[in-house]
Amino acid sequence: MKRRTFFSGLAIDKPPHEPHIASPGPAVFTNALVRTHENKQVRFYDDLIKGRQVLINLMYATCEGLCPQVTSNLVKVHQALKDRMGKDLFMYSITVKPQEDDPAALKEYADMHRALLPGWTFLTGEPYDIETIRYRLFRMDHIAIDLDLNAHTSWVRIINDATNRWLHVSPLASLNTVLQHISWANPPKSFQEKLEENKRLQKQIDKEVKQYGYRRTV
Amino acid sequence: MPKKKEKGKKAKRASGISGSEITRRTMLKISAAAGAGTVLAPMVLTSRKSTVLAQGTVPEPTTPLCNQTGAAPVSPATTPFADMMPVPNAAVPKNLNPAPTKVANVAGGEAPRADHQRWDEFPPDVNYRLEARASEFQFHSDLLPSYIWAFNGKYPAETVLNNYGESSLVRFKNSLPDPTNSFGTPQITIHLHNGHTASESDGFAQDFFDTGFFKDNHYANRYAGIDTFGGLGDPREAMHTFWFHDHRAAETANNNYLGLNGMYIAYDPTDPGHEFDTPGSLRLPGIYGKTDIPLILSEKRFCATPSNGRNELFQVVGAGAPAGDKWTVNGKIQPKMHVRRRKYRFRILNTGPAKIFNLKLIGPDGLQKPMTIVAVDANFLHQPTDISATSTPNTLDVFVAMRFDVIIDFSQFPVGSSVYMRENQAQNVTAGGPALPDPAPGLSMVNVLMRFDVIGDAVIPDTPPIPSTLVDLPPIPPAQNNFTWAFQLLAGQPNPFRINGLPFDPNRVDHAVLKGSSEEWHLRNDTLPGNWVHPVHIHFEEGRILERTRRINVGLPNETTINVPLTPYEDASNARRDVYPLPGQESVRLRLAFRDFVGRYLIHCHNMNHEDAFMMVRWDIVETMAQLQETRREIAQRRRELGAPPLYKEEVG
Repeated sequence: MKRRTFFSGLAIDKPPHEPHIASPGPAVFTNALVRTHENKQVRFYDDLIKGRQVLINLMYATCEGLCPQVTSNLVKVHQALKDRMGKDLFMYSITVKPQEDDPAALKEYADMHRALLPGWTFLTGEPYDIETIRYRLFRMDHIAIDLDLNAHTSWVRIINDATNRWLHVSPLASLNTVLQHISWANPPKSFQEKLEENKRLQKQIDKEVKQYGYRRTV
Repeated sequence: MPKKKEKGKKAKRASGISGSEITRRTMLKISAAAGAGTVLAPMVLTSRKSTVLAQGTVPEPTTPLCNQTGAAPVSPATTPFADMMPVPNAAVPKNLNPAPTKVANVAGGEAPRADHQRWDEFPPDVNYRLEARASEFQFHSDLLPSYIWAFNGKYPAETVLNNYGESSLVRFKNSLPDPTNSFGTPQITIHLHNGHTASESDGFAQDFFDTGFFKDNHYANRYAGIDTFGGLGDPREAMHTFWFHDHRAAETANNNYLGLNGMYIAYDPTDPGHEFDTPGSLRLPGIYGKTDIPLILSEKRFCATPSNGRNELFQVVGAGAPAGDKWTVNGKIQPKMHVRRRKYRFRILNTGPAKIFNLKLIGPDGLQKPMTIVAVDANFLHQPTDISATSTPNTLDVFVAMRFDVIIDFSQFPVGSSVYMRENQAQNVTAGGPALPDPAPGLSMVNVLMRFDVIGDAVIPDTPPIPSTLVDLPPIPPAQNNFTWAFQLLAGQPNPFRINGLPFDPNRVDHAVLKGSSEEWHLRNDTLPGNWVHPVHIHFEEGRILERTRRINVGLPNETTINVPLTPYEDASNARRDVYPLPGQESVRLRLAFRDFVGRYLIHCHNMNHEDAFMMVRWDIVETMAQLQETRREIAQRRRELGAPPLYKEEVG
């Protein structure tokens, strides 16, 4: 008991938690030289990630099946958030077949999907670098799935490097869901702002509760 | 500024905490001794108290953490049986300020939610406050403490003890550091597994809230069937061993690995929390912390190189929870526990995040000794059944989120002897050093989960023999509708973990049922045999398993379906379940009733890394037939848009 009181006494003068927050930076992201669909060389962490809120997904130009749907869903995400795109929100689509997808192929792919949009960059690079980035950002602990390139293609990483928040979402979920997930990595708001947001949300919930008896869509 | 105010409050609470807690605890002890009977502070078994740091003294981990980018590290060596196994204390009721309300107190900092259902009927009788925050915990005395996230800073959390008929309100406060260097996400939504809980208190994956806010979960502590039976509900629906844990969409595994879970027990006349001869009591070992002990299992992995004066839990931001190489029991690696020559009840709970435990009790002679299962997934069996050398299976297979209440009779062992819980998968004990001698003939040290030391004859008199029939089960609900949930691993496809062809979307309903109805559900694992066993969990109601089948020679001309015998702890005639392990190509058919509350609920694979990879669905209970039809139309429409195969007959053609 004495010890606990002792620690509690200390607690009064300390901040709620030690401000020791840092993005792991290039140690995790790497700072590899990658090439954009405009054939520009950039550093992966310093030029693309540092301090930013980003959406990252994996793709390759010849991917069939659900890949085109993923890209078209991401186009919708871009449309919904176009005011932020290129300013405080960035999208990166990284090819997992860098040996096939040169900048020209990526540009053609982006053009085909009407994805040549501000703030959205398609990336290729040295296969070793790309594989490292893939492993660091999209690693799955099950080796069989980890090695399955297609399994990654619809996994969108949402990272806010400034707050070191990492989330993920499936772009096959509804647009509403994807936008919600992105918003949860938004720059931090003050308690007061969040409180006001909660009040607005509560009003919506109340409407639904009146109709269905439970929180249904929000 | 509200922030400042909050800080001031915290400091006040921190400095005043020891005094007030003591008085309350003492008060409870006295009331328990006087015959109220259910709350006993389990001091005796806790030899080493972990130091709980006050809020504000826990530095964040240094980044990057060990082996952030490479292979998982090997945890340091730990001496077996160096630590006594702690038992979580009983949570202490608190007066809440602001007082809990039926309507969310959003202005007062509560997270938005629907009004509490059945609040006026069951206003809270007891209030608790569990604050999720950063803390430190020493998982073994050979290790430095590790950075964790825990309720009230304690791991495992204090156990919430309840009586049926008295509703509890638990205020979950989020005081997690935001931003954080750890791989956890400081947004929480707490699920009580598998409470008969209204949707707004059920910890729906999307209902999470931020640091600085709180949410009141209202647990009515009534049996299912309130509408039909009135008052308390149907006593045959009694459940006893629950646990609560964070259920944040897509980040559940990480937050649980960091420690956000604890046990919740509900007592009723069959299981009153004491061993006296009271009406209806089964008189099983039942004094919490003395003869009725939670065994909360988990897997962990540690950074060998200390940083920040700690052996941090190994974690990689963005990679899900790692597979452990150390197993913990109530937070300790290979602990020992002192027992006396009498019967004990252990409430075994696997908190994962992903590991399956396959346990055997091994005597001093190295031979397997019986453990008697009296309850599974919180439900008493109709008749108890043994796990022994001759049972099939002869291991107690505890998948993530499952609970087994087992009775071990230590009177069969002499004073001074040791008994072992054996785990099938070897753990890392010596970190590559020379192997330690076998503690019992044929039992390798790496397979020992924990040790029981028989230190003397019983002090509290032993309970009578376990009754051959424990309880009568409620009737199996009729199948008013049939529905199939297929769990899939679509190799070579985006979002490989799917249910009925789609990954989880919290805003998409995948099935709707009418309140008051019951259905037959068919859970099917479409992955290959030898592939993952998916421990499927259905929120809200207990299921009755009618049949288990396995497809063999899949894709070959002689493909066929064979019947798999049900174990006595899953067969509908003897058991009720809420976690259904599904090995590859196996199926179960089960019946469920949906009673008393409406709302949105979940089904998911309880391998937490799988649920985070979207192997989860939302299903809704609605009030009226019109709402049911409307919702089913919406489901059909949405599935058409997504190109997914139809689920309902009316959608075809």
